[in-house]
Amino acid sequence: MAGYIIRRLLIMVLMILLVSTMIFLLFRTMPGDPTASMVDPSIPSEARQALLERYGLHESLWTQYTIFMGDLLRLDFGSSYYYNRPVLQIIQNRLPATLILMFTAMLFAYLIGIFGGAWMAWKRGTKLESTGITLSLIFRSAPTFWVGMMVILVFAVRLGWFPAQGMRTTGYEGTTFGEIFISLDFLRHLILPAFTAGLYFLATPALIMRNSMLEVLSEDYIEMAHAKGLPERQVLYRHAARNALLPVVTAGALFIGMAIGGQVLIEVVFSWPGLGREIVQAVTRSDYPLAQGCFIILSTVVMVMNLIADVVYAVLDPRIAY
Amino acid sequence: MGELVPELTIYSSLPESNLVNYEMAQELSEELAELGVQLNAEPTDFSVLLDIIYGEEMDYDAYTIGWSGRVERLDPDMFIYSINHSANANPGGNNTSRYVNQEFDALADAQRGEMDIETRREIVWDAQKILAEDVPRITLYSRANVQTYHHERFTGLENMPGEGLFNEWSPMVMEPLSDDHTVPVVASNVDITNLNPFGARSVYDWRNLRLIYDKLVRLSPDVEPVPWAATGWEIVDDITIDVTLREGMDFHDGMPVTPEDVKYSYEAFMALPDSYFAAFVQPIDSVELLEGNVIRFNMEEPYAPFITTTLTQIPILPKHIWEDVDDVTQYHNEHPVGSGPFEFVRLRDGEELITETFEDYFERPNIDGYIFKIYASPEGVLTDLELEVVDMVSYDLIPAHINQIKDNEGGRYGHLTITEVPDIGFFYVGLNNNRPPFDNKDFRVALSYLVDYDYAVDVLLDGYGSRGGAGLVINAANEFWHNPEVPVHNTYNPERAREILADAGFTWDSQGRLRMPLQ
Repeated sequence: MAGYIIRRLLIMVLMILLVSTMIFLLFRTMPGDPTASMVDPSIPSEARQALLERYGLHESLWTQYTIFMGDLLRLDFGSSYYYNRPVLQIIQNRLPATLILMFTAMLFAYLIGIFGGAWMAWKRGTKLESTGITLSLIFRSAPTFWVGMMVILVFAVRLGWFPAQGMRTTGYEGTTFGEIFISLDFLRHLILPAFTAGLYFLATPALIMRNSMLEVLSEDYIEMAHAKGLPERQVLYRHAARNALLPVVTAGALFIGMAIGGQVLIEVVFSWPGLGREIVQAVTRSDYPLAQGCFIILSTVVMVMNLIADVVYAVLDPRIAY
Repeated sequence: MGELVPELTIYSSLPESNLVNYEMAQELSEELAELGVQLNAEPTDFSVLLDIIYGEEMDYDAYTIGWSGRVERLDPDMFIYSINHSANANPGGNNTSRYVNQEFDALADAQRGEMDIETRREIVWDAQKILAEDVPRITLYSRANVQTYHHERFTGLENMPGEGLFNEWSPMVMEPLSDDHTVPVVASNVDITNLNPFGARSVYDWRNLRLIYDKLVRLSPDVEPVPWAATGWEIVDDITIDVTLREGMDFHDGMPVTPEDVKYSYEAFMALPDSYFAAFVQPIDSVELLEGNVIRFNMEEPYAPFITTTLTQIPILPKHIWEDVDDVTQYHNEHPVGSGPFEFVRLRDGEELITETFEDYFERPNIDGYIFKIYASPEGVLTDLELEVVDMVSYDLIPAHINQIKDNEGGRYGHLTITEVPDIGFFYVGLNNNRPPFDNKDFRVALSYLVDYDYAVDVLLDGYGSRGGAGLVINAANEFWHNPEVPVHNTYNPERAREILADAGFTWDSQGRLRMPLQ
């Protein structure tokens, strides 16, 4: 096991270097001049030139690349052109909001999805099953921004139960993590976007769980459990669901990896100050360092989560050994 | 027979970034096709477009873009000199029409150096006459600044052309209507990127900094320069201006504001060729301190916009904080300390900037501070306007939202007032005056009859805007500098275009293609 993890870690480092190179090249081949979004067009051309030099953009592609990779090895992602601040600081500021939103949504989707999926398989062929599948597919296919706007309309505007926009009430006190995120006010703001995102994510765990449950339910040991006269609930959750969980775990682990990217549309609809919006804007502004930093971190987390999923597999299913 | 008019390309906007420009370029392309000229409309990303029109190669025929109407652009220097003088027609210069006319250049130079405002106006008016005749570019439309605020909570706000409601004047004069809501919430659709005056790169970076930092002179809603942190100025001669600093002012950290701080601030900006204000301080030769709080500016040459643009734009920075900073452009300035009417409290990235009123300010504002709240979408702002979370907006509302607020269905928007002022900025079709067929004046004039100005304003802007015109740069919204006597072509008349071309010697061949006049 340890040997396997070390081998996987080594491959991961190589992969990250490769991915970083690809990301670097991708942004350099994009049309558009990064200074265009940095300076006002009415600024003289010498000023534009000075900016290019300050950011090293006048150097050859190869020189830029070696500097980039050298910095990367020291975990230095550079400074954002647009914000004129270290990339890591910007990511750090935005990441908690995105992660909390995504994990809450995931918790919602996976709790309901796993139990609901298992239950749908159990009730195979009934109206309940087809309603469950249809509903989860509707929320999967409906545009999230539209669902978000409807949720705002109903719960914020008409009923007035929750605030419509942002992460905290305007003018709130607080600067540290605890002061910002550990409060009832934050929770009230979190509910609508997390609910909207959760509805969207629901289909994946619910349908995967249902499918793999159906397979497990046809196994002999389930029949055996029935024959022993065990209560239905015990057969369903203790014997069947546990074994059907494996594919859901993989999907869940990959989901965590992608969670860092956030749900851009949900962040926009709810004015949620997360990282997802920042990544999209960094790309359109040709803010190379910020976009590169975000994507490299994103791909690293996806790889790490993949590894963790594989390890959790072995724990859940003793037959798997590496 | 003359040469064929070459196949042309117009770089326009992507429909999602500016639908009006995109549509107008498509329209123009169809109109020219009728006339036997092929114009390919190529929607282009904004940064790519800037690359092309400011690029070394100057390789383009036509494009659509715009100049935003900032308050400092009320001074005619930008729209007369910077974008039309032949000195700026080189690569990277702002005369991206590559327009060259010596008679015009002489006027553009003269208005710059003319310190008497009435005489200067005469010159600027003559310059507008030449532009309307020469048509270096065709102005399509100006947007109206339509904005809204909560009139049950605040009063006394001024909507300024080009600046809107959240200008540098409104927060100082607006009044709360009750004692329990004295801090207005201003909605923004643009993030705050920078708190460093030296690193600021756009008008968005300045909207808050100009309230935290003070300035020697401010422009009133009627665009008159008003002595502010200065008590007055004296024009000693064409190239010497003395400004007297107000006494007894303090920075937010309690240190006094001294003439040394002013000298430091101006000199620091003069040392930075690529700051946002580079163009405004470039004519200054040196700054001297005289007896009795007097600061003397020695200019390299007469520069008429000095009081209305330079003195109203450069912020006064505390020397005691900045002089110890190694590289001022890279400094974070996490907690700006200025001497302006509002004190910085805190900024939460992507959420809000909180300020409170500076109690020791010499003219204390009526509100107790303001909160600048950042939204990701205009729909989000509209919801919070309805829920009374937001008190005013800082950007131009889209036509759909204006109509929604005006319709006031179910009385949901009854507490909002819509205000509208025309913008001094404009959107236009740029023409490369250096290339055929746009090097031919008659062709440019004829082209101006192919633009459907009403379609842009009445249909695409839903009426919230004003018409452009051939060669129009200073529009009627800029009352003082606009020349109302200049006849500007701004009617759609394809027949007239055909006549002008025929009179100028253009011909059509058997296939209906347009040919240039014989030399």
